[in-house]
Amino acid sequence: MRTHSRATAWTLLSPWVIGFTLFGLYPFLFSLLASFTDYSPLRGSDWHWVGLAHYRRALADAELWGALRNTALFVVGTIPFTTAAALGLALAVQPSFRGRTLFRVGFFLPSVVSVVVLSLVFKGLYAPNGSLNALLAPLGLPTPAWLQDPVTALPAIMAMDVWAACGYYMLIFLAGLEAIPEELHDAARLDGAGAWTRFTHITLPLLRPTLLFVLVVNTIRSLQIFAEVFVMTRGGPLGSTTTVVFHLYEQAFGRFELGYASAIAWLLFALSMALAAVQMRALAGREEAAR
Amino acid sequence: MSADVLRESAPPPPWGRSVRRWLWLTPLLLTMLLPFFWMVAISLAPHAGDSLARALRGPWDLSQYRSLFASAGVGRYLVNSAIVAVAVVALNVITAAMVGYVLGRRRVPGERFWTLGIVATLMVPKQTLMIPLYLVLARFGWLDTYAALILPFAVDAFGIFLVRQYVAALPLEFEEAARVDGASDWRIFRDIALPLLRPVLAVVAIQSFLANWNSFLFPLVFIDSDRMRTLPVGLALLSQSEHSVDWGFLMAGSTIASLPVLAVFVVFQRRILAGMLAGSGK
Amino acid sequence: MRRARAAMAALATAALAISGCARTSQVREVVFWQFWPLEVIQPIVQRFEAEHPGIDVRVEQLTWDSGKDKITAAVAAGRPPDLCELGSTYMPRFLEAGALSDWSAGVADLRDSLRGWDMCRVGDALYGLPWVLGTRALFYDKTLFARAGLDSSRAPETWAEVREAAARIQRLGGGVHGYGVSLNDRQKLFKKFMPYAWGNGGEVLSARLDSCRLDSPENLAALEFYLGLRALGTTGLQDALDKEFKEGRLGMQISGAWLLRQIPKEAPALRYGVALVPRPAAGVGTHASFAGGEVLVGFKASQRKEDALRLARFLVRPDNALALAIAAQSVQPATVGADTAAFYRDQPAQATMIRQFATARFTPNHPRWDEMEEAIEEEVEQALFDRKTAKQALADAHARVTALLGR
Repeated sequence: MRTHSRATAWTLLSPWVIGFTLFGLYPFLFSLLASFTDYSPLRGSDWHWVGLAHYRRALADAELWGALRNTALFVVGTIPFTTAAALGLALAVQPSFRGRTLFRVGFFLPSVVSVVVLSLVFKGLYAPNGSLNALLAPLGLPTPAWLQDPVTALPAIMAMDVWAACGYYMLIFLAGLEAIPEELHDAARLDGAGAWTRFTHITLPLLRPTLLFVLVVNTIRSLQIFAEVFVMTRGGPLGSTTTVVFHLYEQAFGRFELGYASAIAWLLFALSMALAAVQMRALAGREEAAR
Repeated sequence: MSADVLRESAPPPPWGRSVRRWLWLTPLLLTMLLPFFWMVAISLAPHAGDSLARALRGPWDLSQYRSLFASAGVGRYLVNSAIVAVAVVALNVITAAMVGYVLGRRRVPGERFWTLGIVATLMVPKQTLMIPLYLVLARFGWLDTYAALILPFAVDAFGIFLVRQYVAALPLEFEEAARVDGASDWRIFRDIALPLLRPVLAVVAIQSFLANWNSFLFPLVFIDSDRMRTLPVGLALLSQSEHSVDWGFLMAGSTIASLPVLAVFVVFQRRILAGMLAGSGK
Repeated sequence: MRRARAAMAALATAALAISGCARTSQVREVVFWQFWPLEVIQPIVQRFEAEHPGIDVRVEQLTWDSGKDKITAAVAAGRPPDLCELGSTYMPRFLEAGALSDWSAGVADLRDSLRGWDMCRVGDALYGLPWVLGTRALFYDKTLFARAGLDSSRAPETWAEVREAAARIQRLGGGVHGYGVSLNDRQKLFKKFMPYAWGNGGEVLSARLDSCRLDSPENLAALEFYLGLRALGTTGLQDALDKEFKEGRLGMQISGAWLLRQIPKEAPALRYGVALVPRPAAGVGTHASFAGGEVLVGFKASQRKEDALRLARFLVRPDNALALAIAAQSVQPATVGADTAAFYRDQPAQATMIRQFATARFTPNHPRWDEMEEAIEEEVEQALFDRKTAKQALADAHARVTALLGR
């Protein structure tokens, strides 16, 4: 089998190379270099090298460690649920049934509205005498002040995130499911395979590339959780919802310490990279096998 | 004959199965709709502030929607948002198809390196990249123009990665058959691969439209003048007053703003169904 | 076809002529970034343009939430606006960075006619003009006062009266609360607690900003008073407390003038009053409060420094600042004696806000002030959640502020 010619391959790759050179390269290098300086946007060219000082400071920054803990809780507490819910919804609305489009649209609806507006809506729902507590009170369930209690604030934001994101990942799973040839299922059915066997032996293995995409992208996105916190809690109460990027944002635009903020950003980058590498190793090997 | 035709002409699904599915999907659907209900209710009750209880008591009217469309800028904001979204979606779909395909078929030396590098660009929080990107745009003289809203977002790592993963799972047979027939690389990409990619490109289109239509921080920072503003930024400015938000106005605006996204979703989600079989029928 | 081309040519010529005119008459463009809706600010700016035919002002509106990000990026790229509105909380960092133009000479004659110079002063040098101010005062619900058997025509003036009134309103029950204690609100909690501390003679920093004064008995008494109010009311975020107040379920809280705009729209039936922040006891301490505001500044990198200053001086003129304050309704002019304006004679609540300025405190212009404020808020928050005693929280805040002074 003849491979693609080099020229075609590079042509197809060229949009990325051009786009990154124009708009990516400088910002990435800038922020990497800034992490070793005391650069402040307000002072501009008046900056000095500080070596590894920002990285040392980050490792000793108790607030950053607290933020990292909250972020880790967020990642661990949302991704399994979002992924399972998204896959479940995709499987439920993939086969043909009457009114299917209505359900697909309905489940996707939360993704249609911007995160900022959704966060405002949930801030209202979670208010001490808001709609959620109005629903819970008659059932005799506890009605905490969700976003003002250090115990419930982060879980409340996590619940909102799962709710808002699962429809979006449902869509991606749907596309992945459509790529699985129906004949495979038909053949398995002829062999007497039940629905669960077909799911574990056909759907899941062939869905691995999509699953990898969902896991990697959602992990990256969740590690950078920011807008919900910015709108709903500003990191409080008692710092219980301060995430890494919220902390970073405060350093960069509250205190204009872009150098320190960049160091935090690159530490987060290293963490994301390590997690993505683990996920790719765990799933991509099998992706190979599945081909 | 294409298998797609078989699917199309299949008898409509039986009512029994459909109704059973509704029974357990409807409660889920209602949970998903509740916050929208909140949003629309608030937008209809001008004196409710942010209280659902007061919004339900009424009185209801369309005054928020009227004042929305009476605001001088809103039409202009809609047009700007549409221009930017359409341009970015088109560029995203084309570039994601090209780059994602070549990576998915591992036709570039060091494919792993490229893929990881592209995914890696998503891992640096954009809050630290905003100022240097602003400096780049200032240097090019593109601030306060459509170029600042379109070009930096024309090539999107999410879309590329998504297409790459999709291609990795696609069988090779159609492309190999075409190659045996002597088709050129470029023809195989255009005539064989692109149709196969339709479902995933539909997802890329939806995702890209969504992200750009709702994008707030970068358009806010990159645009100075009112006539260049996009809808989310314009709405935020129109509904703000010190220490408070005009809830009804903002929710009316958000309801209107969500309609085009919904329309794009309804149109493109059908493309996802068209599936690879429709492509193979050619 | 030919006619169309001729028309095009004529248009092009006209366009050239117009742009040519503009160039020859030397209209100077001044870029002004500010936070008010355009329909509020444009009429004032248009009067300025009418008075100064050579100047064309391009007004752009910023958002409260992210406006600072935009200003920061523009300053970093060396293309800041010529004139810019900055909130007082932003000022210390901008002053420290040395990005602002020194206006000392250009505004010296206004020193006695405006208040709020603390917001933009470094030593004797002035880097801006105070434009409009905001403060916090006591809001009380007259209906609830009457229901609790209190004199609804008279607001509590001392801590003891606040406690007494809050306790009686709290006893009404049915979801009604006596006093609203601000919780974990960044940059808001401070403005609710510190008024009592200042009123009791407490301080955060020494006058020369070189040492911390937080661990004083005065501050401790104020914090214990504030914490004690939790049992006589409810705790919540600013907007939640405001909402309870508008719904007639909160007896008293410290809040700001934005309520004066919201209440007529959202709760027209509410009977309420506005009074000075209560002081420790009759004849003891002061009715202190927090004061902040909006400052007009120019940047060193601006090409239109003189025109910017001209516009700033125009905007802070008593009539123009008043026009903005009336349109915005959530702030008051920085003009000394603004409460004597005809508008405020019919607006007792607004006039109270202006009288509150006399005893209100601006925050110190220390470059690390935002971090100090955050440290105080975080420690007070620990006390509000009963994680620390009042004494411990103040001692820890004192230590953190002292550390920030040392750096």
